[in-house]
Amino acid sequence: MKTFDYVITDEVGLHARPAGMLVVEAKKYASDIMINKAGKKADAKKIMMLMTLGVKCNEEVTVEISGEDEEKAAVEMEKFFKENL
Amino acid sequence: MKDKIFEVLQRVGRSFMLPIAILPVAGLLLGLGSSFTNETTIATYHLGGILGEGTILHALLVIMNKVGSAIFDNLPLLFAVGVAIGMAKKEKEVSALSAVIAYFVMNISISGMLEINGKITADGKIASDVLTGTIASVCGINTLQMGVFGGIIVGLGVAALHNRFHKIQLPNALSFFAGSRFVPIISTVVYMFVGILLYFVWPVVQNGIYALGGLVTGSGYGGTLLFGIIKRALIPFGLHHVFYMPFWQTAVGGTMEVAGNVVQGGQNIFFAQLADASHVTHFSADATRYFSGEFIFMIFGLPGAALAMYRTAKPEKKKQVGGLLFSAALTSMLTGITEPIEFSFLFVAPILFAVQVALAGAAYMIAHMLNIAVGLTFSGGLLDLFLFGILQGNEKTSWLLIIPVGIIYFFLYYFIFSFLIKKMNLKTPGREDDDQEVKLYTKADVNAKRENTSKNGEAVQDELSELITRGLGGKKNIDGVDCCATRLRCTVIKPDLVDDALLRSTGASGVIHKGSGIQIVYGPHVTVIKSNLEDYLETAPDVEYTKDNIDSMEETKEVQEEHREEKVTKTITVSSPITGIAADLATAPDEAFAGRMMGDGAVVTPQDALITAPEDGEVVFVFDTKHAIGFLTDSGLSMLLHIGIDTVKLEGKGFEVLVENGQKVKKGDPMMRLDLSYLSENAPSLASPVLCTELEDNQKIRLLKEGEIKAGEPLFAVDFYE
Repeated sequence: MKTFDYVITDEVGLHARPAGMLVVEAKKYASDIMINKAGKKADAKKIMMLMTLGVKCNEEVTVEISGEDEEKAAVEMEKFFKENL
Repeated sequence: MKDKIFEVLQRVGRSFMLPIAILPVAGLLLGLGSSFTNETTIATYHLGGILGEGTILHALLVIMNKVGSAIFDNLPLLFAVGVAIGMAKKEKEVSALSAVIAYFVMNISISGMLEINGKITADGKIASDVLTGTIASVCGINTLQMGVFGGIIVGLGVAALHNRFHKIQLPNALSFFAGSRFVPIISTVVYMFVGILLYFVWPVVQNGIYALGGLVTGSGYGGTLLFGIIKRALIPFGLHHVFYMPFWQTAVGGTMEVAGNVVQGGQNIFFAQLADASHVTHFSADATRYFSGEFIFMIFGLPGAALAMYRTAKPEKKKQVGGLLFSAALTSMLTGITEPIEFSFLFVAPILFAVQVALAGAAYMIAHMLNIAVGLTFSGGLLDLFLFGILQGNEKTSWLLIIPVGIIYFFLYYFIFSFLIKKMNLKTPGREDDDQEVKLYTKADVNAKRENTSKNGEAVQDELSELITRGLGGKKNIDGVDCCATRLRCTVIKPDLVDDALLRSTGASGVIHKGSGIQIVYGPHVTVIKSNLEDYLETAPDVEYTKDNIDSMEETKEVQEEHREEKVTKTITVSSPITGIAADLATAPDEAFAGRMMGDGAVVTPQDALITAPEDGEVVFVFDTKHAIGFLTDSGLSMLLHIGIDTVKLEGKGFEVLVENGQKVKKGDPMMRLDLSYLSENAPSLASPVLCTELEDNQKIRLLKEGEIKAGEPLFAVDFYE
């Protein structure tokens, strides 16, 4: 399993549109991708779950990636977070 | 082929459940009624005061007895109808009626043959050279005794005829008799000949069985075993009466001198000894060997089988089958009527019946060997055990031995049944595959459709049905379909959605409105149109067509073309939560939404301040910024209602949320109030995406309405493909 932490910089937080983009990105990989925030966990491939987390700007999330393509997924996801969130 | 037979047997077995469900009650009525109105019983126990002829209780018991008998006597008819209903694929009521007709036709034509050949005299009496028990009266018709088997012949045959002919088309002059009306006609003709044929075939079977009797008499314990096995094996064919009656009632079953008279037949000997009880030290087990064993498996064995079936039923079905099995077991124990329980496994798992026959047959022999001599009037239940065993005392009957043997039998049945059911995955009640029938249907339907399309253009019919459905305002608008001689009679929910012109274009010569009743005049071939329409409606998407959305339907139809080969298995309609202007999601002024990144659905621009629940469901979450609600419908769709574009930046201003996280709501409950003037000034757009966020690959959105929409009106449909 690969993990990385990230502090959201997008001013609206992990809201509908950013969440939608995240889901589209996460679905590219076979690995399970989970987003953790303050003990709550959500599947990054399920938009409803993501939005239920209510992640806001300046909050830190932990991304857990596990599966056969986790190496590649971890690198790409981290890049995606930095560019978009 | 083997699978096919198994599958048919399973369907037959399932179709028996309806008539079988009445048997326990009928059995209790018959058992109680006949035991306590038996003159010997009354005389022996000096019950004349309360149960004798002329008392109210006696009258009641006589009626109970008759009611129970009526059901058992007409069991073949009940099975004919039950099987026909169970086996017919469509329009089951037609096959039920046809089965009744065919049953009478078959029996009366047998009766006719019997009369012509002198087996029945002109005044309706049975000729003296006819074997006892081979001719019986069925609903007042003297016919060959065929038992339940006769009913099954009718049920299976009629269902086959029905499935084959219920959509037949005839030349125009005869078209009134086409379709389902043809089924009773063809059944009548066919069963007239079946009856004639049976007149020749059945007596051969009966004579063979009668001859078996000779085998039994000469031998000792082995003969008793053989008797038991044959008697039990004949029950489903109704032939056991032919077989055992001679043993019970005539010299075939032995003769004995009791109190100075020569008495013939096992049962007669027992009752003669009972009447002369003071001079008898122990009742003759040689006489009772033809029935004493029944107590063992009826009171103990079969309830064990019932318990095994109950324990092996699927957990979710236990409650449902528990009632059936419990009452069937109780009937067997109390009255000794075993049909309810035997028929529950006989057809779905013939091997279990083989076990039952072997064990039960052995029970007769065991009772004979142990010198158990308990008589019975009717059958081997607790009632008879009490009257003719317990009350007579162990010295004369050895009834106590029934208990240890019975307990062993209970466990034998329980373990053998449990083992076989699990090992062979037998589909006893409560273990059926639910979806199997449905699956078989669709498969068969698909194949039939394919065949027809290539053969005679059934596709044209389906298109016709589709047009009629559309002309009537869509499946959702159709409440019922029926027909008379020339008219298709439909009941619709909203008469104003009916498109007369479209209906006329389907070949109708007229369309008549009567409130919510719509009559479309087609002519005498209407029965076929009706059948096809019913078939079509079974699988059609449950939508409503209005004049406004027909055009947009045409557009979306093109999109659907590519999914044509797949079949829509389910459709969920989602209503608008907003009163305003509905449009395709692609028109949303935001590329993330328009590109369907967040999910698929529609966009509605609100004109009314109130946002309501689109369907029954649960509010999953409300954003802190109040501008969007996550919603889970009771039908399982995850939805996002996002009010306006970029409204997250308003930080809650302009929104008043009326629900909270986790709240259950009903369709139409208010969820949010908007400050429309504030929002239209401060948000880039008020266009509000209404989305299903977690669609699977086989779920597609179909927009149902564009333009003005009221909250609660259908907005889009989610079609589930195979």
